[in-house]
Formats: sequence, structure tokens, C-alpha cells
Amino acid sequence: MSPMIKRRKFLQQLGIGSSGLIIGISLLESCTSDVRSGVSPIPEFMNGFDVDGASQIGEYIQIKPDGNIFVNIVKHEMGQGVASGMLGIIADELDADWSKVNLIYTPPITGLDNWAGGSTSTLKQWDIMRNAGALVRKLLVNQAAAIWNISSDECYTESNHVIQKGTGEKIEYGQLVEGIRYDEETVGEVKLKDPKDFKFIGQSFQNNTIPDMVLGRHPYAIDVQLPNMKYAVIERVPVWGGKLIDFDATEALKMPGVEKVVPIEGLVVDSNSHIRPGVAVIANNTWAALEARKLLKINWKLGGKRHIVHENFLDEAYRLLNTPEGEHSHSEGERSAMQEADSTITHTYEFPYQHHACMEPLNATAMFDEHTCEVWVGTQAANYMIRNITKHFGVPEDQIKLHCHPSGGGFGLRYWASHGMEALMVSKAAGGDLVKMMYSREDDIKFDFPNPLQICKHTVGLKNNALDSWHIKSIIDNWGGLLAWMIYDIPNKYAEQIQVDGFTQMSAWRSVMANAESFATECFIDEVATEVGKDPLKFRLEYLKTGIHELNHKFPFNYDRMRHALELAAEKSSYGKVLGKNTGQGIALFPYMHGNGYGAAVAEVSVHQNEVKVTKIDIAIECGLVVNPDFVKKQMEGGVIWALTALFYGGTEYKNGVVARSNFHDNKLLRINEVPQIEVHICESTETQPWGVGEIAPPVIYPAVCNAIFAATGKRIRKLPLNGALL
Amino acid sequence: MAKYNISVNENRFEIDATPSTPLLWVLRDIVGLTGTKYGCGIGQCGACTVHMDGESIRSCSIPISDINSANIRTIEGLANGYLHPVQQSWIDEQVPQCGYCQAGQIMSAVALLEKNTNPTEEEIKSNMAGNLCRCGTYPRIIKAIKAAASKIK
Repeated sequence: MSPMIKRRKFLQQLGIGSSGLIIGISLLESCTSDVRSGVSPIPEFMNGFDVDGASQIGEYIQIKPDGNIFVNIVKHEMGQGVASGMLGIIADELDADWSKVNLIYTPPITGLDNWAGGSTSTLKQWDIMRNAGALVRKLLVNQAAAIWNISSDECYTESNHVIQKGTGEKIEYGQLVEGIRYDEETVGEVKLKDPKDFKFIGQSFQNNTIPDMVLGRHPYAIDVQLPNMKYAVIERVPVWGGKLIDFDATEALKMPGVEKVVPIEGLVVDSNSHIRPGVAVIANNTWAALEARKLLKINWKLGGKRHIVHENFLDEAYRLLNTPEGEHSHSEGERSAMQEADSTITHTYEFPYQHHACMEPLNATAMFDEHTCEVWVGTQAANYMIRNITKHFGVPEDQIKLHCHPSGGGFGLRYWASHGMEALMVSKAAGGDLVKMMYSREDDIKFDFPNPLQICKHTVGLKNNALDSWHIKSIIDNWGGLLAWMIYDIPNKYAEQIQVDGFTQMSAWRSVMANAESFATECFIDEVATEVGKDPLKFRLEYLKTGIHELNHKFPFNYDRMRHALELAAEKSSYGKVLGKNTGQGIALFPYMHGNGYGAAVAEVSVHQNEVKVTKIDIAIECGLVVNPDFVKKQMEGGVIWALTALFYGGTEYKNGVVARSNFHDNKLLRINEVPQIEVHICESTETQPWGVGEIAPPVIYPAVCNAIFAATGKRIRKLPLNGALL
Repeated sequence: MAKYNISVNENRFEIDATPSTPLLWVLRDIVGLTGTKYGCGIGQCGACTVHMDGESIRSCSIPISDINSANIRTIEGLANGYLHPVQQSWIDEQVPQCGYCQAGQIMSAVALLEKNTNPTEEEIKSNMAGNLCRCGTYPRIIKAIKAAASKIK
């Protein structure tokens, strides 16, 4: 990508019009205190800092007279480190003193894409952040040069100072801001740094959110505390699609602390997302609300989903796999080539529903008024929430004040608007009370929108001892669709899917369908290698091209980056080394094309008396230009553990349409004493921009571990989860 | 409802609560200390860990009526003008990701190190097994506890 960016395009990305007058007003004005909403005289939440006396540059950066720099974080911080990553990028172009760089969790900015998902936040913001930092630096330099009455070329910048070449005289940034006036005409071309001059980017700079976390003051939405705030929990209809008939709150209302009990109507937000009807208990503390909820007597009309029996649902799914029906997803070459194969190999893999179980349960605080409303929430998609509030509640977009909080985990669940909207519905039903609506852990599991069940049947056809055709048929429950990233160099490919309608609504989940599809593809290719008598690594390399080729995605697939990750994982794990009895290594690779990142892993397991212990994971990532290697390592470590949890404890069960699991005793997560040794290896890359990181690890872990189990025991795993750690 | 006089981080609070209210919700909703987190309510995740007279407890599972005159210490009470060595280690090792479980992790780690100044890796794992982390920061937690232990020694 070109290091220069056209001014107009940049300004469009800032959400600012191209008229000079608008720019002059919105850019570089000294900020006075924000206008407070008449409805709620509550200070603008800004991570502890206020804006008095600051200069605001566009929507991204403010610099105060004391030299402190504030960056508006427009992407949701949910533990992936995007907030600090963005700070690092801006700080580098700005030549800022890192100790003076601070972040603000900004309310959503109209026209800016604030959706955080698909491992795309950093790659999408890369150019914008760099240009914002570089523009500000240039304005500061121009201002200093004007004060010194010299040319800008006679200045350079370092650590929050503009410095005169030769004399070494310097001015701190804070001392320059008051005088700056932005004029599009005179500012001229903004040049980005040569990457060899990066000071932060590529270094393991520290994450700015961590000090607040260790002090217990990172501002999660669940911690919001406001005057006159009430606490609410909702008893929701247990079966998706069911209805509220009536309720009796007499006993609940007797409980000390309980103030109101109100019905919540169901709502179809959009085709993918419904809000369940229910009954909300509003109290002056959380415990009273939780306890009083138990005393509600409610009549539901549960609806048809209660009749779904999972065994029958699965039987039907497997039946569909073997019918000719299917919706085309991807193809290359000739579909009919399979019929001409000398022999075929077929296996089917089942990846179950998965829960999110973010440590911070869903919650939002809200105050509803039909003319104006306010919500405090952690959301991966602030603009989506605002649009739906307008659409369903009629409040104009410019009258919705959304306070964006970092969260205790998103993983795809915090994309949906339901929790923010539910809080507004509770407030509305309660006559405009300011209400903190929280999901209990039980609510969070039972009303989760799980990752869809996905069953993939793979077939290869051999011709003259080479792989000539490859078919995938996938059954997926009602969300997303077959990714069909079929990367092996087999001339005839065909992928099709059937969407089925399960017991509840589905959702994105970390790495989405790449989990199920990598599990299937990489176990399958391993099985094929074994069945034709080839080494699993050599076989894969034989069927990986080089160069760049179109794949079933908007980003083309880069075989060289993929091979690089595979080879690095193999090398670092000494793949193929001799191991003891009941011990084995397994290898897997998969791209994550939404973020154009590439991952490969080698797992080492030992199996004793049918119990699997994962002893080591070597995982490699090719993610392009690395903004912060330590941030990458953390995402990979975390992604490995995420996948191991799903491998051993994942899935879900339901009866009469109700999720059976309810808390961490039955929806288990991996614990600290179950973690293998994890080594992360980051490929050196020639890419000139960052690519995705957060979702690259999980997909390769399931097949790497299952292939290792095969190496150790001769047993193939085609269905997850494992039964705890037992085979 | 009843009146309780409790000591939290060496400050006294007189509060009104129903006797069954877990300490967790008294701390969060009544005293206003939100550093201690709700994760599960049944003592399975450890996010609510605080110290009661120096012992690590799951505040979601202890009713306010059982607190009496015990000294409660929360995450907010660890730093005493300067960071506790465990907090500093957590920063040095860059442990947290989303951070939600980390107050509980830190409180459990502090309690461990107050009893055992040089725990083995196995002792760390078994003592910390009650604290869940969804983001997968476990390897760094182990590393940070070892680093803090060597500093405290």
C-alpha cells in the first residue's frame, strides 16, 4: 500500500466533509467542556481526563497544553490490545513521548467504521492512524518553525518536542497547541515515516490499559456507577421464539430493595437477532434483583423450538449430508471429476455448538426517553447498536448518547445490540429510570447465541495416485456459511452447504466457521496422507502452491506466507522427531482470511489410560507487519487456550429448547493447571502493513491436537468435544 | 435488612443490607468498590476473590452476616502509595488481556505468596486453579507469580 494517502480520502475516512470551512471548524479548535445533555447531568466519561484547554485534531487526537496526548479509540477494546496498538501507531508517527500518550474510549463517531471483529481492527486503522499522527506532527513542526521564523525543513521531532537542527533549541508539543490553526491549503503534503525509523511499531511497548486493570479501575460497563441508578435482571422466556403470557410479581415485590417489576416485550432486531420477551425486576442493588427474580411466577407460551431433540436434529443433519441437495459455495475445475476417480476417501467431522462465556457477563446501563436516550455499554459494533435503537425505539441517532466501555471479553457475542437495547427497554418500561441491566452467569450461558454446529463431509478422489478432486459438503446451523478456504492444490474442487434451523439463534464466535472447517480439513488431509502412505507434513507441502492465488475471499491467498508459517511451526517443534510410547505430534495449518493472517501449529500429546494430556503447542503466525510482537504473542497464547477449552469442554446440550448448562461447573473452561507449554513463533514478513492476529490460533489447534492423538494412539477423532480429556 | 459495620481496606463502613447479601454485592453496589468482579456467583471462577483477615475468600459465596469484624482487603486496598510487588509483576509481564478476571487472580496470588514465599510451579498451579481466565493469560500468571516471589524474597 502506498505510504501516501490522498487528502480527500483521508478526510472522508475521518468523517469530515471536503469543504474548507467545515475542516477549519472541526479541526484544531480549543475544546471547551462538552455540552452536557439536559437529561442527565453526568460528566462525560473519559477515562478520568477532561478536555478543558485541549486542542482537538480531527476525531482522533487531542493535545493538552501540558503536552499530554489523548487518542480516541474508535475500535472496541476487549482484551485484544487494539487500544494500545492504536496508541503505538499514532505515537510513532507523532514522535510522542510514550509516557504522555493516553487513550479515551470515545463515543461512536458518525461515519466511522467502529465494528471490531474478523481480526480486522488494526489492519483497517493502520493507514488512518498513521496519517492522523503524521498530520499532527506536521502541524506542530509548522507551528514551531513559524515561531522560530525558520523553514520546517530545519526542524525535526523527538519525544514530544520539535527541535531545531543545529542549535538543538526545542519546544514541547503542549506549548505549541494553542497557536495552531489548520489550513488545508498551507499544510501541504503529509509524509509517513519510513518503517526503518519506527520507534514503537515493531517493539514490545507496554499496554496502556494494564495499570488500570491491576489497580481494579479499568472501566468495564458492568462497573458503571451513577447517581440514582437502579439494578435490573430479566427473567427471559426459556425457549427461543416463545412468548410471555402473564406474570405475578406479588412475592418478588415484597423483597426489600425491590422497586418495580415490569414486562419486556420480545423484539426482532433483525433476521439474525431477536430479543426475548421477559419480566424485569428492578431494585436498588443487584442481589435483591437476583433473589426477587426467583420469586416471580410467570406463564409462558414456550413455542415450537421446545420440541427439537438434538439426537433427531443430528440424524436429520447427517441424512441431509448424503442427499443431493446443497447450496453451492465454491468450485474450481469440474464437479464431475470426482466420478472419474480411481478411488475416493471420505470422512465426516462434527464441530459442536460453542459458548462465549466472556468473563464479564453481558450488561448495559441505560436511561430511556423517547426524545433522547443514553447507554453505557461494551459493544463490538456501536454504530449497529445506535441504528437499531433508532429503528426500533424511534430515538433519532443524534439524540442517542452511547458511552463505549472496554469489555471483559467480546469474542463475537458483544457484536449484537441486544444487551444495550434490553437495558433501554427495561428503563422505558420502568418509566425512564436509569437502570443497570446485568445478565447473571446463568443468563449469559442459557441465552448465549452460540457458535453454530457445523458438520463437514470431505471427499477426495485419487487419480493416478494423485489428489484430483476434492468435495466438501457442510451442514451448518443457520448463521454465517461455509467459508470453503480450500487451499490445497487439487484441480477439481466443489463446496456446498445446507443451512439448518436449530434450537436458538447463532452468533459469531472467535474464529467463526474457521474453527469447524480447519478441524475438518486438517484432520482430513492428515487422514488422507496416512491412507496413501505419506508423511503428513511432506504431503501438505506437496499440495501447497507458491505465489498468490484467488481464494474464496476478498483477500487473495498468499501461499508463500502460508508455507512460511507451516515451515516455522515444523522447524521449531522439530516435527517428526522420535517420541516415546503413547506420545505423538500432530501438525495443522489454516489461513484466517477475514484478517488475511496465516497460522500453523504442532501439538504434542501424551496419552495414558485413555486420558489425553497436551504437553506442548508450537504455533506460528504470519501476520504481516508486526505492530507489537508481545501483543501478538498474547493473542496467540490466548487463542491456543481458547481452542483447548473448546476441544475438551466445548459443545452444549439442550432439552425442550433450554440450554442445560448454566455456569462454570458444567460449562467448563480450561484451568491454569491444564495448560501445556506454549511457544509462539512470529514469521518475519515482507508485508508492509499489519494483518489479522486475534483469530489465527484457534482453528489450527483442534486438528493439530487430534492429529497428535492419532500419532500417539492410532485413533482418529472426528467429533468434538473430547469427553473431558478421555478418549 | 440489618445494619452492618465492616472494615474494608482499613476503612470502616456502616451499611444496610439483607443478611444473605454476599459480600461481593455489598462491596460493589453499597460500598462502591467495583474492582472486585462478579463472574459466576457460585465460587467457581474466582473473579470475586478478596482477603478476609489475610485469607483468600470468594466474596460471592460469603453473606455479609458472616463478616463481622474481619478485615476485608480488596484489589483497591493492595497498593499502598506504591504498587504491590504482585501488581508490578503483572505489569512487567504484561499479564492481562481483557483484565476482568485479573483482580481476582492478583488477590489469589498475593494470598499465596503471603503464605508461601517461594512456591513451585506445581504449587502455583494448584493454588491458582480456582481462578478462571477466558482470554488465556495463564502462562503469564505463572511467570508473574514467580517473578513477584523472587522480588518479595
